[in-house]
Amino acid sequence: MGEKMLITARGLSVSYRIGKGLFTQTSLKAVDNVSLNIRKGSFFGLVGESGSGKTTLGRALLRAAPISDGSAIYQDDEVEYDLTRIEKAELEDYRRRAQLIFQDPYAALSPRMTVRDIIAEPLEVMKITSSREETDARVREIAAKCRLNLEHLRRFPHAFSGGQRQRISIARALVSHPQFIIADEAVAALDVSIQADVLNLLKQLQAEMGLTFMFISHDLSVVAHTCDHVAVMYLGRLVEIAPTRKLFAAPKHPYTKALFSAIPSLNPDERGTAQKLEGEIPSPTNQPPGCKFHTRCPHAVDICKSDEPKLEVADGEHEVACHRWKELFA
Amino acid sequence: MVSVMLRTRIRISAGKVTVMSALIDVRNLTLKFHTDEGLITAVDNVSFSLNRGEVMGLVGESGSGKSVTAKSLMHLNPSNAVYTGESQITLNTDAGPVDVLSLNRPADLKVVRGGAVSMIFQEPMASFAPSISIGKQMIEQLQLHSDMSTQQAREISIEMLDRVGISDPSRRIDQYAFELSGGMRQRAMIAMALSTKPKLLIADEPTTALDVTIQAQVLDLMKDLVKEFNMAIIFITHDLGVVAQTADKVSVMYLGRVVEEGPVREVINKPKHPYTRGLLAALPRLDDLDAPLTPVPGDIPSPLERPDGCVFSTRCTEIAGEICSSRIPLEEWIDPSHRVACHLYQKGGA
Amino acid sequence: MTTKAENSDLALNDQKAKEAYFTASQRQLVWARFKKQRAAMVAASVLIFLILAGIFAPFLSPYDPTIAGRNKDYLNGAPNIPMFCDKNGCSFRPFLHTIERERSLKTNFRWVETVNEDKRRYVEFIVEGSEYKLLGFIPGNTHLFGISEGFIHLFGTDASGKDIYSRTLHAIWTSLQVGTIGVFIAFVLALVIGGVSGYYGGWIDSILQMITDAVRTVPAIPLFMAIAAFIPQTWTAEMRFFFISLILGLIGWPTLARRVRTHLLTERNQEYVLAAQLCGASSSHVIRRHLLPSFTSYIIVDLVISFPYMVLSETALSFIGLGLKDPVNSLGVMLQNVTSADVLLNYQWYFIPVIFFIALVMAFVFVGDGLRDAADPYSDISR
Repeated sequence: MGEKMLITARGLSVSYRIGKGLFTQTSLKAVDNVSLNIRKGSFFGLVGESGSGKTTLGRALLRAAPISDGSAIYQDDEVEYDLTRIEKAELEDYRRRAQLIFQDPYAALSPRMTVRDIIAEPLEVMKITSSREETDARVREIAAKCRLNLEHLRRFPHAFSGGQRQRISIARALVSHPQFIIADEAVAALDVSIQADVLNLLKQLQAEMGLTFMFISHDLSVVAHTCDHVAVMYLGRLVEIAPTRKLFAAPKHPYTKALFSAIPSLNPDERGTAQKLEGEIPSPTNQPPGCKFHTRCPHAVDICKSDEPKLEVADGEHEVACHRWKELFA
Repeated sequence: MVSVMLRTRIRISAGKVTVMSALIDVRNLTLKFHTDEGLITAVDNVSFSLNRGEVMGLVGESGSGKSVTAKSLMHLNPSNAVYTGESQITLNTDAGPVDVLSLNRPADLKVVRGGAVSMIFQEPMASFAPSISIGKQMIEQLQLHSDMSTQQAREISIEMLDRVGISDPSRRIDQYAFELSGGMRQRAMIAMALSTKPKLLIADEPTTALDVTIQAQVLDLMKDLVKEFNMAIIFITHDLGVVAQTADKVSVMYLGRVVEEGPVREVINKPKHPYTRGLLAALPRLDDLDAPLTPVPGDIPSPLERPDGCVFSTRCTEIAGEICSSRIPLEEWIDPSHRVACHLYQKGGA
Repeated sequence: MTTKAENSDLALNDQKAKEAYFTASQRQLVWARFKKQRAAMVAASVLIFLILAGIFAPFLSPYDPTIAGRNKDYLNGAPNIPMFCDKNGCSFRPFLHTIERERSLKTNFRWVETVNEDKRRYVEFIVEGSEYKLLGFIPGNTHLFGISEGFIHLFGTDASGKDIYSRTLHAIWTSLQVGTIGVFIAFVLALVIGGVSGYYGGWIDSILQMITDAVRTVPAIPLFMAIAAFIPQTWTAEMRFFFISLILGLIGWPTLARRVRTHLLTERNQEYVLAAQLCGASSSHVIRRHLLPSFTSYIIVDLVISFPYMVLSETALSFIGLGLKDPVNSLGVMLQNVTSADVLLNYQWYFIPVIFFIALVMAFVFVGDGLRDAADPYSDISR
């Protein structure tokens, strides 16, 4: 032990109030009671489908979504911030240390700025560099790391393909030398042949710059190959969290198992062997009582409909939130 | 000399296999677009054919021309599209062969648009008008293609909604598209597309926007419907896993050309073209977590910089020689139903 | 067969063209697309020509367009078209025949005009004539052309003898001025109100929208009737002129404001804006660096298209007597007298200025349309 935790979240919740009228507002709990630790230097995967709250959790950790309950602590070698109570000056410093890579390479870059200006913007806004030469030098340095050459810096985003644009996004996120990067579906919009390229780049940059990644994705195969720890979310709650190998070798939650079996296998002879999950994800405004997954779970029993299961340790770092995991998958 | 004879023999036997009246036959389809930046080639000399009850996976990444090819089958491309003279698409309907590219009048086009050929799209919100109930749209579709009364059309629509697994169809038929979840909308779109009992269904990335658990359900549904209706499906996707699970044969496209086509087991387990090989190698596989992710090197060339010779030559790691960047490789049959367009196979060897 | 050198030259040019495309800023791309539309380019040339004609009106017209420059002897006169040849031969310099009038016992003391085909008056170029102030402050007295003796009226004269050609050119200039001032005022108001509304949203937006809608429902004609009644007679023509422009701007901003607001509402949710905010960018940085450039092209289009509306509004108001009055010249003022049957039947040349104004308005509209098509990346410009 003694390994530093960069992010420690306990009971983190994010609630939105929706509805236009003064009296007819309902709450939408996008993230509900999530507790996790992200070790410094790790590549942490967060997996879920739509409505799972994974994107909201990522935004909350960057203070781009409001935290309504619980705590989240950021701690690196220099500072420690309580993200629920962070003040303006500290927030400015935190922004230097935590950055976001977006999903859509076409929407994340301002079409009217040159690549050089896009990458330089964080430096200029956060006043990290004091002269144009310094800014240019930093931009060139990070661009080279992301395999963008000088010619590319003069061009506008419309000249680039999806994969190249994502590299520009990555360069922009890294130019302030952050410690913590949240990649929100960073490769989802890319072609398969480019996906591998960007993922390799991320791992290489992690090794070179000592970064910690939180990799949000709906694609389990990608997560399996890149992350060292994985957390699975369903309807705002964490259902399972484990080191990658353990999770993929022996998942202990019915939802995780269903996710695996739903992935179309590359083996044409394996048709019809998967166990399909029926039903739809419930609406986030109308969440079922008890275990959120019980409406679709093939193993649901009475207790699942009334009591919400808590995350319990199954084996070392492997935690699962299910009433019946012991009898089903132990 | 011997190799020429061998090749000819193979081709003849390939000809025998496909001579039974194919449902749709595409020959030398070449399509360019007039844009501000010049004339851009979207599809280059694509040929394939499909029989009834067959599922073909059309695989490609961005810029491969797969969507444009599919839209051509329904003559749906925008007005700045230019087809070259040799392009030909023949649809064999019950009433005889139809030359799709020569159709111009709305009355004639009805056959390919929603009649014998139906299409479902990636974004279900895009194919349902937001302010009309789904029922009204489905009824309208049926009445456009047949003489049914509104009552009859409504009954058939409810039946179809039930068939695709939407619960409580007689209530749902009067709902609006935004009231349904993503998966249900996609099912409703499938119901609408199938209500006219088309012979050919073109599915353009139908499950890409869906969650993986819902995708599994929708794929199962489509496979059942193929068996029941004996439809042919052209399944356009970039996801090779989906293709492996649903298709009988696969066509791999790159930059507007078909680089490899064959039965799904052959293409996935024994890929021949370097691009197909590269694509399969780049996929993260759940059965081997230690394998490194190997991307296909380089980037897709911009449409303004179409390579001379083989379109894949700028990124290929298995270059055969100078010939790759100067001459376009022709399609070679290396098996009765498996063809590749690559100079590595041009000399008769595999 | 092209040689290797030619091939590499072609390749080099190709490369340069592609590089130019890759490094082209949004503005350059829009301009390149605009240039490809023939109708829009023709309209742009016409527009520039008319604007220059308006600016240099005092130089281009031979006479002062006000009462001071009128020709007392030629009321409601038909246009004089200079000719090059007549029965006495041809000449390089265009000329006019002299019209002589005489009144005598023989003609029952009525003025009878005869054309004296032997007496030529030559058109002279770059002549000195009445004084003027170009753009209101550059003094001069040179005119592009004049005639050796008497007057030359290319478009004829009106009921008090004023040269219609000179009046037309000056009227273009007046209308452009009114349009510019009106559009400028409307634009500034629209930017501020629409901008605040769109950027902040929420209750600020709701309140500002209510105000915008209220202003938009103000009916123009009754408003101007009321204003016309209240403008003191002591005001000079210039003051009246600026006041009318001001009012046009004040009731013209709602449409523009709505467009600015809509655009901001969509743009501020774009991911690249969020990316900037995640770096801690202030609102002013986001507005300046990201939002404003994003809709500059749309706003320019809106400005160009609002122009003809301003011009036509002013024309309509002046025509019914609620806008500008003599001696300030505008199309509306010039058309104040055309409603009598006399003019319609006999003095058709009164309508020549209408052609110029149709051309001006259509030019604006075509250029505006062309700009909008060029700026919108999803429009389908057919070849």
